[in-house]
Amino acid sequence: MTTNGIAIDIQNLTKFYRGNTKPALDHISLSVSENAIFGLLGPNGAGKTTTIKILCGLLALTGGEVTIGGYSLVHDFKKIRRIIGVVPQDIALYPTLTARENLSIFGGIHGLKGKHLSHRIDELLQVFGLEKSQNTQVRRYSGGMKRRINLIVGLLHNPHILFLDEPTVGVDVQSKNVILDNLLAINKSGTTIIYTSHYLEEAENICSRIAIIDEGRIVTEGTPKELVRSNQSFTNLEDVYLHLTGKKLRD
Amino acid sequence: MPNFFKLVYKDFLLLIRDKGGLAMLFLMPAALVLIMTYLQDNTFRSINESGIRLVLLNQDNDSLGIIIERQLEKSNIFNISKTIGHKQPTGEMVEKAVASGDYQIGIIIPEHATKTIRKNVKYNVALAFAGIPADPKKCDSVRFTIFIDPTTKTSFRTTLLGSIREFSAKVENEITLNEITQEVNKRVILPVSNLGLAGKGAVYYREEYAAAGIHKIIPNSVQHNVPAWMLFAMFFIVIPFAGNMIKEREEGNLARLLTMPCSYSTVLLSKIIVYLIVCLLQFILILFMGMYLFPHINLPALVIGGTWIVLMLMGLASALAAVGYGIAIGTIAQSHQQASVFASISIMILAAIGGIWVPVFAMPPIMRHLSVLSPLNWGLNGFYDIFIRNAGFMTILPNCIWLLLFFGFCLALSVYFNRIKREFI
Repeated sequence: MTTNGIAIDIQNLTKFYRGNTKPALDHISLSVSENAIFGLLGPNGAGKTTTIKILCGLLALTGGEVTIGGYSLVHDFKKIRRIIGVVPQDIALYPTLTARENLSIFGGIHGLKGKHLSHRIDELLQVFGLEKSQNTQVRRYSGGMKRRINLIVGLLHNPHILFLDEPTVGVDVQSKNVILDNLLAINKSGTTIIYTSHYLEEAENICSRIAIIDEGRIVTEGTPKELVRSNQSFTNLEDVYLHLTGKKLRD
Repeated sequence: MPNFFKLVYKDFLLLIRDKGGLAMLFLMPAALVLIMTYLQDNTFRSINESGIRLVLLNQDNDSLGIIIERQLEKSNIFNISKTIGHKQPTGEMVEKAVASGDYQIGIIIPEHATKTIRKNVKYNVALAFAGIPADPKKCDSVRFTIFIDPTTKTSFRTTLLGSIREFSAKVENEITLNEITQEVNKRVILPVSNLGLAGKGAVYYREEYAAAGIHKIIPNSVQHNVPAWMLFAMFFIVIPFAGNMIKEREEGNLARLLTMPCSYSTVLLSKIIVYLIVCLLQFILILFMGMYLFPHINLPALVIGGTWIVLMLMGLASALAAVGYGIAIGTIAQSHQQASVFASISIMILAAIGGIWVPVFAMPPIMRHLSVLSPLNWGLNGFYDIFIRNAGFMTILPNCIWLLLFFGFCLALSVYFNRIKREFI
């Protein structure tokens, strides 16, 4: 795995959905450095989820080149699967299984087994404050607890690169703080994080770099400070965002 | 490989946590096979023309009465009773017994029937040899009374009347030939021996079941209903199976799995294994019900005609076809509701045209032609081959191949829908 300090390299990424003449992604180019927390922000339908889905191997790209961890997305996806972790926006857990059963199954699929898997589960359950309810079926969990388990699944195998699609949506302040604090800790330990969110303040606080995407194109990219300083009238990231994407409602 | 076992474990856990689904998978088919076999047992007995309750009042006690009685007994079609409530019946009692439904058929052979036939024949033969035409008005007729329950099939009624006519004609012929012999002997110097038909008739009909092997197995309600509802149950797993697949997709778990070191084919394979085991358990459950439970509740026991290996192969091929259908619906359907409605209706239709509800031989010709389109019919024919025709591997092979091709087609369809329609890598 040779990365030259680049965790993800995207060149001219284009995606047309079948039957659509307008591209969902229009020649996107991005580079995400190793150890970065990279925020991908944009209004609904801008192309964030399409980008994440392509990077995670869930959608085929129409054009362009993508390298993740030094591996080609098109040719080496089997290798990419082993180094990435994905935390989807939906709670992707089996509700009739307990938290521990869910973690044991997903961990096992990542190749963890025996005591190593068991210790890793214990460790993460403790970090996210879920050790007492580990044997409860997930359907009985609160929204915040489900979010935390959803995140743990993506962290079980210590991924090099972690994709997070709105990890804090719909959770209470306590759960949100636990999630964000731990994301910062995970990043410090060497994991690159690609993060999408509608919470601009949250993104401004935790992201080392941000790209704003609209109508399938990257409209700006930089550190949060660089983006805010790009125009004297901007006081925060929300100003930058509204200036670039407009105030028109999106579907 | 470890991820495959984890997926199998996951699907197994999901299955056992769904108590309602489990009940539907095992209790529903068990109840169905029991109820349907019980309900259809009488119909099948009637189709097989065995065990028809008949009360016989033989007032003749001469050749005709004895022959009819003997032939009816020999036919093995009837349960013949010569008494009603341990009493010698009267004509009125016979009529009442049939009218009340205690018997399906009542036959009264009148007193002096043989004597009357003999008298008629003697009169006719004597006049014939004297060259005088006989006067039909001077001949007494023998009047048989046959009471028939209105529910008895017309075809059966016709057959019965035909047989009684045949028996009386046979007796009449014997007597005629005997009389002719006597008249001839009065006129010739060297007497001729009796012209009567010795032993069997000139034309002899031998009936055999066209089945391989030494055992002649008569199809009964159990031999139809056990494989029929077994197949129905196997195909009914399509509903929970497709539901499981759609739920996994809607909850985002399938997408999550596909971002892990786990291919779509591994995900499918784990499901195939788990639901294949479910199908085979259903198969064994219903098979054992037919073999060991039914004889205790006054139903015929299921007799396995072919070998167990052939039976298991047929079960496996049927189970794969059912699982394949589940995969296809689970992949193509957009929602759980769409899948369950489509699956239940399509299975009902496939079952109906496949001969599950009404056996194919009892269908109108056009439906008989359509039945070959149903995978349930391929399975049912395979099981008929084993249970009724003592089939070996080569006999069931064509039906097995059709079922496996159906499985392959469904699998290919689901892979196509995933790769192309859903635009997965």
